[in-house]
Amino acid sequence: MGTALFDGTEQLINGLMYGCFYALVGGGFTLLFGVLRRFNLAYGSTIMAGAYAGLIPVYLFKAPVLVLFVTTIVVSVLVGLLVEFCCFRFLRKGHELAPLMTTIGMLIVIDETIVHLTDAVGLKYPAPFGDESLALGPFLIRPDYLAILVVSIACFSAIFWLMHRTRFGRAMRAVAERPEAAQILGVSVRRVNVLTFVLTSAMAGIIGFFAAVSVGSARPEMAAWLTGKGLVVMVLGGLGSFPGAILGGLALGVLEFEAVWFLGSSYRDILAFSILFLILMVRPGGLLGSRPA
Amino acid sequence: MRRPFVFAAATLLAACLLWPGWVGAFQSEGTVRIGGMWPLSGPAAFFGKAAHGLASLAVDEINEAGGLVVEGKRVKLALHAQDEACNAEQGLAVVKRLATVDKVIFSLGPGCSSVAEPVFGTLQKKLGDASDSGLQLLFFTDIATKFGLAKLSPWVFRNTPDEPAMYDFVVKYLKEKHPDLKTVMVSYESDFAHSAATWNLAVKPALERHKHHQIVEVVDWRWLDNEFGAQVTRLRKANADVYFSLTHTPSTCPSMLELKRQRVKPKMVIGITSLAGTEVLQQCPDVAAGIIAPSNFAPITPRAKQVADKAWERYKADSNIHSVPAYENVHLMKGLIEKAAIKNTEDTLLADRRKLRDQLAKVGTFQGVVGKITMRPEDDPVKPRDVDKDMILVQIKAAKWDVFWAPEHLKRN
Amino acid sequence: MEYYIAIASIIGIHAMLGLSVYLVAISGQMSFGQQGFFALGAYLAGMSTALWGLHLLPALALGVVVAAVVGLLVGFPALRVRGLYLAIATFGFGEIVRLAFLNVRYTRRIGDRVVGPNASEGFRHVRYIYDRGITPLEYLGIILLALAVVVVLFFALERSKLGATLRAVEEDEVAASMVGINVTRAKVFGFTAAAGVAGLAGGLFVHYSSYIDHDMVALPLAIASVTYPIFGGLGSFVGPLLGAVVLVGLTESLRALHDAREIIYGALIILTMLFRPRGLVDEALVLRVKGWLRPRAVRRPAPAP
Repeated sequence: MGTALFDGTEQLINGLMYGCFYALVGGGFTLLFGVLRRFNLAYGSTIMAGAYAGLIPVYLFKAPVLVLFVTTIVVSVLVGLLVEFCCFRFLRKGHELAPLMTTIGMLIVIDETIVHLTDAVGLKYPAPFGDESLALGPFLIRPDYLAILVVSIACFSAIFWLMHRTRFGRAMRAVAERPEAAQILGVSVRRVNVLTFVLTSAMAGIIGFFAAVSVGSARPEMAAWLTGKGLVVMVLGGLGSFPGAILGGLALGVLEFEAVWFLGSSYRDILAFSILFLILMVRPGGLLGSRPA
Repeated sequence: MRRPFVFAAATLLAACLLWPGWVGAFQSEGTVRIGGMWPLSGPAAFFGKAAHGLASLAVDEINEAGGLVVEGKRVKLALHAQDEACNAEQGLAVVKRLATVDKVIFSLGPGCSSVAEPVFGTLQKKLGDASDSGLQLLFFTDIATKFGLAKLSPWVFRNTPDEPAMYDFVVKYLKEKHPDLKTVMVSYESDFAHSAATWNLAVKPALERHKHHQIVEVVDWRWLDNEFGAQVTRLRKANADVYFSLTHTPSTCPSMLELKRQRVKPKMVIGITSLAGTEVLQQCPDVAAGIIAPSNFAPITPRAKQVADKAWERYKADSNIHSVPAYENVHLMKGLIEKAAIKNTEDTLLADRRKLRDQLAKVGTFQGVVGKITMRPEDDPVKPRDVDKDMILVQIKAAKWDVFWAPEHLKRN
Repeated sequence: MEYYIAIASIIGIHAMLGLSVYLVAISGQMSFGQQGFFALGAYLAGMSTALWGLHLLPALALGVVVAAVVGLLVGFPALRVRGLYLAIATFGFGEIVRLAFLNVRYTRRIGDRVVGPNASEGFRHVRYIYDRGITPLEYLGIILLALAVVVVLFFALERSKLGATLRAVEEDEVAASMVGINVTRAKVFGFTAAAGVAGLAGGLFVHYSSYIDHDMVALPLAIASVTYPIFGGLGSFVGPLLGAVVLVGLTESLRALHDAREIIYGALIILTMLFRPRGLVDEALVLRVKGWLRPRAVRRPAPAP
């Protein structure tokens, strides 16, 4: 195999695995947007709050990683419910832009609370998957990325099952497509909204755990990064389209890895945004979006 | 229906908007006011809070020892600290606040170079030039390390690391003590002026000057990046003896972890100056173990230990390369304020600042916490109003910073 | 006093950014990329005075023109996309501009200084106003004058056919196109003008701060520029103005709270939006104020319920 081809393949593998992580983040945004038709800029902060909170039992009484993982999810869900209560519950339909502001306010509150409590220092995260890459054939594969691959596939399957095989999923889709009609048919829109927040916030906990594990620390800069990537993936795939988010995440992951390898990191974001711009020009509804919102 | 509420809210808002300029009367309190602007919120708050803590400690020490003598009277020092949030717009407003509302005689800080640039750039460029409408406020900076900042205005003095000299020493040291380590690989943050300048203006020239090392790979990333796989793979293929990791803590920790994952084991790792604080120890003490960083501070003398312990006890403030200068600056300025024969009244504030500035300009060599510090004169061609000071090489060992090398006269203490 | 002048200068500049977002928003779109035009205006105007020795006025004009032309070029393709897609596409544009300036090196030695955009080291020494002894108060006058010009144009626009056209496009694009409105032309016009206004804000800012770099036109500025019109309300151009006054004012006036400052700031935004979900100056308020301003005799009686 030629070197360029070999290197390209190595980056492709890494890009696909990392793309799964992007897909999870974009998926969280997409689920919320799909049901609420609003977007939640505090989602990245929810993720970060969970990641930091997971460390509390570890620092206090050296709890094992499983406790950390569970704490992360539980706290994310609680923060998610707080976001729902403060930023969405009391806003009636028709105020499309208000949640944008309330969630920006929430983002500031959460981020600054964490900065205030930790002096903006990143905190060490345990490495449950070891910190040496596995040599699979000629390639070096990161164990935490393998775990992300497995967990994200599990997550996506669970969500597809939930959306298409359960009562809650049907209610969710009904609310997403026709909230008024769903209401008439006896679906409680508020209940679906709250449950959607619980679901996406649990995802936020999983994302937060893996985001912190992949860099070895929980850091105050996580929120802005995750929000940025999540929005790009969601729009690239098509608003409200869950398969679109998966495709968008994988595409962004591969693109970034190949760009860094072949062009250098200076061109990574320029290239990513240029391609996003071009795709939206050609397909104004994203890769798998049905029509412009 | 909500009219009373609306009126209450409007009144509250109006009161809020009128609030910013409110501050106690100038003479009645019997203090000399000094200022400080640092990032006290946002992701850069670590450095700002540490410097704020060390400056507060110095002010406490001076006041506990009876304050200072101005116009024959004993007065206390008062520190007015403001948050610049690493944001240029806030910095531009805060500097005016310190100058005209808090009415400080000089200011410490700022922290972020993207705040320091506009703040210093809008100060007066030539002393006493009536045609220049720039602000006249004296700065004695502790954190902002970006090269050439003190050149922007004669009102700016800095007690910050001299990185070209430090890395020149590092390269010379490596050449002499480890002549067998020949190949070098480098990483830096292309969007972080300080990191990029450390590579372009300090390390690269030093490597070229000493003509010993061979640069085999240079990679870069963004300072808030989270993925370093591709760049580290390049470093792995280069497999050089010495690795210059010229990045700040947020990207140093994950990139060092990636080095470990890909089993890249350079024989020696040299870090950026800003690394020498507790931040990296809290974030990744294990993977960063062994990194050597040039610093101006380490608790190697009894005095340095005492300052570091007291700052931690009282203010939970980290004593590091950027925060200890704040402590040193306050102590130096106390003496200079007494010497400058200032009047300390509202009307003479501008003249007082000028007097203090002139004292600082001719201060020459003064005592720092660790060693002696020399302020370069104003007509210095390379870096006027910047300092030369002792440097130390520190290394992370067992989750602590350990002295790797120190000049003889410091070791004897 | 100087402190208030500084706050007012920043309010003036940011109000222009807010108006720029507002101008895109009244045709029903949301731009998250006005900081890109701000950067273009800042770099171009800064280069004009610092490198090419131009007078402030043509320098600002050049910044406006370049930003507007780029706005036109970007606007044509970009306005095919709508809503959140456009918000992210324009944010992508803003980031491309920012990252481009991160790599642009165009410097010249003037006296003992190196002047010009210097890649990641930023663009120093834009000291036009300070070198000429223009005091902060006088420069505030210039900022407010520029803002006044923009506001007068907005005032005229809101009363013109074009303003009605843009509002009609916001209400219902299909209906608007059916009554013969050239929707694309109206939207592209709005986008181009908005880019010009953002460019003007950038040009004024760089001369105020003497320095610009890529960090200053990143995500935080994008967020700030959309918060002004949304917080202030989209009912009238007064909304973004009020939004900038209140939000920039709050940032400074909450300083007494020290560490809790930003937390309270965020909480106040949430609370305000819960009570006024369409912003401080919403459509209902605009109608009510118009009612007060109108002479009573002309006021038509309300239709019977």
